[in-house]
Amino acid sequence: MRKTLLVSLALAVLALAFGSLVVAQDQVTIRLWGHGSSPAEEAALNAQIAAFEEAYPDIDVELLISPEYDTQLQAAFASGDYPEVFYVGQDKVDEFADAGVLAPAEDNVEDVDDIYPALVETFTYNGTFYCPAKDFSNLTLEYNIDMFDEAGVDYPTADWTWDDLRAASEQITEATGTPAFVVELNIDRWFAFYVQAGGTFYDEDGNFVFASEGENADAAVEAMEFFVGLFEDGLAVTPQDVGAGWAGEAFGQGAAAMTMEGNWIIQFLLDSYPDLNWASAELPAGPGGEGTLTFSECYGVAADNAHPEESWQLVNFLTNREGAMRVAEGGFGVMPARASSADAWLEARGEEYEPFVASSAYAVAPVLPPGFQEFRDTLTNGLVSAVEGNSTVEDAIEDAREVVEELLEE
Amino acid sequence: MAQTATPTTALPVSRPVSTVASKKRQEAITGLTFIAPALIILLVFMVVPLIAAGYFSLTNWDGIRPLTRGIISEENPNGAYEFVGLENYERLLIREGSRQEGFFTALKNTIYYVLGVVPVQTFLALTLAVIVNQRFLKAKGFFRTAFYFPSITSSVVISLIFMWLFTSNGLVNLALKAIFPDYQQVTWLNDPNGIIHNFLGLFGITRRSVGDWASLEIASIRLWDWISGPSVTMLMIMILNTWTTTGTLMVIYLAALQNIPSHVYEAAYVDGANAWQIFRKITVPLLRPTTFFVVTIGLIGTFQVFDQIFVISNGGPADTTLTIAYLVYASGFTDTRMGQAAATAVLLFIIIFTFTLIQRRFVSERADV
Repeated sequence: MRKTLLVSLALAVLALAFGSLVVAQDQVTIRLWGHGSSPAEEAALNAQIAAFEEAYPDIDVELLISPEYDTQLQAAFASGDYPEVFYVGQDKVDEFADAGVLAPAEDNVEDVDDIYPALVETFTYNGTFYCPAKDFSNLTLEYNIDMFDEAGVDYPTADWTWDDLRAASEQITEATGTPAFVVELNIDRWFAFYVQAGGTFYDEDGNFVFASEGENADAAVEAMEFFVGLFEDGLAVTPQDVGAGWAGEAFGQGAAAMTMEGNWIIQFLLDSYPDLNWASAELPAGPGGEGTLTFSECYGVAADNAHPEESWQLVNFLTNREGAMRVAEGGFGVMPARASSADAWLEARGEEYEPFVASSAYAVAPVLPPGFQEFRDTLTNGLVSAVEGNSTVEDAIEDAREVVEELLEE
Repeated sequence: MAQTATPTTALPVSRPVSTVASKKRQEAITGLTFIAPALIILLVFMVVPLIAAGYFSLTNWDGIRPLTRGIISEENPNGAYEFVGLENYERLLIREGSRQEGFFTALKNTIYYVLGVVPVQTFLALTLAVIVNQRFLKAKGFFRTAFYFPSITSSVVISLIFMWLFTSNGLVNLALKAIFPDYQQVTWLNDPNGIIHNFLGLFGITRRSVGDWASLEIASIRLWDWISGPSVTMLMIMILNTWTTTGTLMVIYLAALQNIPSHVYEAAYVDGANAWQIFRKITVPLLRPTTFFVVTIGLIGTFQVFDQIFVISNGGPADTTLTIAYLVYASGFTDTRMGQAAATAVLLFIIIFTFTLIQRRFVSERADV
């Protein structure tokens, strides 16, 4: 009696094990690594992945959201065993492509023509397009309506110039007694002023020409004098000055009437400061015209990859027209990378966020050549020193230019 | 249940008569087994990385290219790295440019840090140890625990608490504001101004007023910046670290204090020495070997400061809290120059090793006396 029971049990276990083995052979697991900044972002991604697994029952997606993403990913690259699909920031794409860990897109991406050309350009290195952007953000000027009313200042418009920004800052600072403008003191904000002053990063041949001779040098000095002047005259502060972790938090707390951030601030303010009465406008134009910065990331596919086909299926599902629509409708504030879903995004988020979309017309992605981290550091330090009065604007730019020359020689 | 337990103990085992040689071998095996865990950990996490760091410091590996691709050669153009000789060292130490500036900035910051922290923490540790060693002190256990407590708390947690205390709307600023209504808020954790610069500024001496000599560059750093002193933010990290390590050093001093035989003190009393003389002429000289030890581990620890900086400032503002250990991390992972990072690590190792050798000489001289 007992024996037959045991035997049948063992048989059952064997059958189960065998069964799952057969299933496992058909099943492909794709590792997807990324980083998250908010619960809303993670929820949106999880929903996308659930939809994908339903559409492709043979593919399992193993999602890893890492808090120390860059370090962990780099260590995985070095070991040679890295995820099939991973986020690639616009400042990393050239490095990864150069190191040969990123598979070129070739003709694996659906409807490339529909993706904003600027975003295709961002993720192109040495003439090869690597990966479709998952979404993007543009910097705009966010302002606190109540504080503007209190100071009796007209709201920012798309026609604002630097002079308007400065005049409004002076009035608000005087009326409220606190600095009007909170902004991070780093080049990812300052570059917007550089672009507005007419500065460019690359010439027609693709050479990096930051602050080189002529117009670019003048633009750099002009932009830094304006930016530093806001701080020196007490019109602008950094988020750290007012005890906030970042500009969005400082703005939400009402520490300042204006800030310049990207789309990520939308959901943050709605979640954390639902009572805040705010709106956004396009960034003011400088002497060189309009300008803003784009920030984006793409889904990169691994070059050393046992399942390239399935990897591209996942990437396409996340970024094709339908994927872009899902980002537009179920997303967390960032804009889908396709022009075809811009209207859907506005409809889902609300027409008041139109300045974020409108900025795309002239937005520039501040992408530096590979290995240019030192340039970023030097220029950021120069900005800080100039604001503190420890160095002149000209010295700060000269230092940065020297680093560019040194890095280009390598 | 009972059946399984019996055989090992109850079965008669016929033991061979052990010779001296086999006994020795057995002892050696037993000894090795005991130290094996520590030895393996030491090998895997200390010796192997040390050799690897030395190896990669001679290459141009970027830290991204998979190592499985091997060395770049004509047959293998897609390799991960190639040998560049001593180029990494030359860039850090000799060739003018941003690498040299980065390294010497880190060296400058680290030296200010070491010079500030080591004497203060040694002095405080000795003072505390003497206090908690007093016979008349009540609640000795409480004080010993209280002073030792910061040392056993996670450095990340302590750093976070410090950040909350010292942010611009933090407790420290609020308290200062309450006491001095005119107090201008200091952003403790985001202030790149050097304290020597600030001090000079009190007398109207600034970068602009001192003249051109200050612009002279030595090792890519302007003379004016060499004499900056630690920045306000760095000073905060120095205070934090002094506070956390003092407890450990106090315990070491305490153990040494209790080793001083009481008859030495009794003799001094008989000779009519007062408390200060006893401390100055007996306690301090007898503690000298301990002081050397405490200073050495202080030097090693402070030269390697990393986690507090990683949590609090990331090397900023304006690179004033960039230390050599943090530079190793930054050049390996944000600048993606692992060869450079390895070379920096080797240089840090040499610096610490040199200090340890100097210290060893002092100690052995003492032993001869």
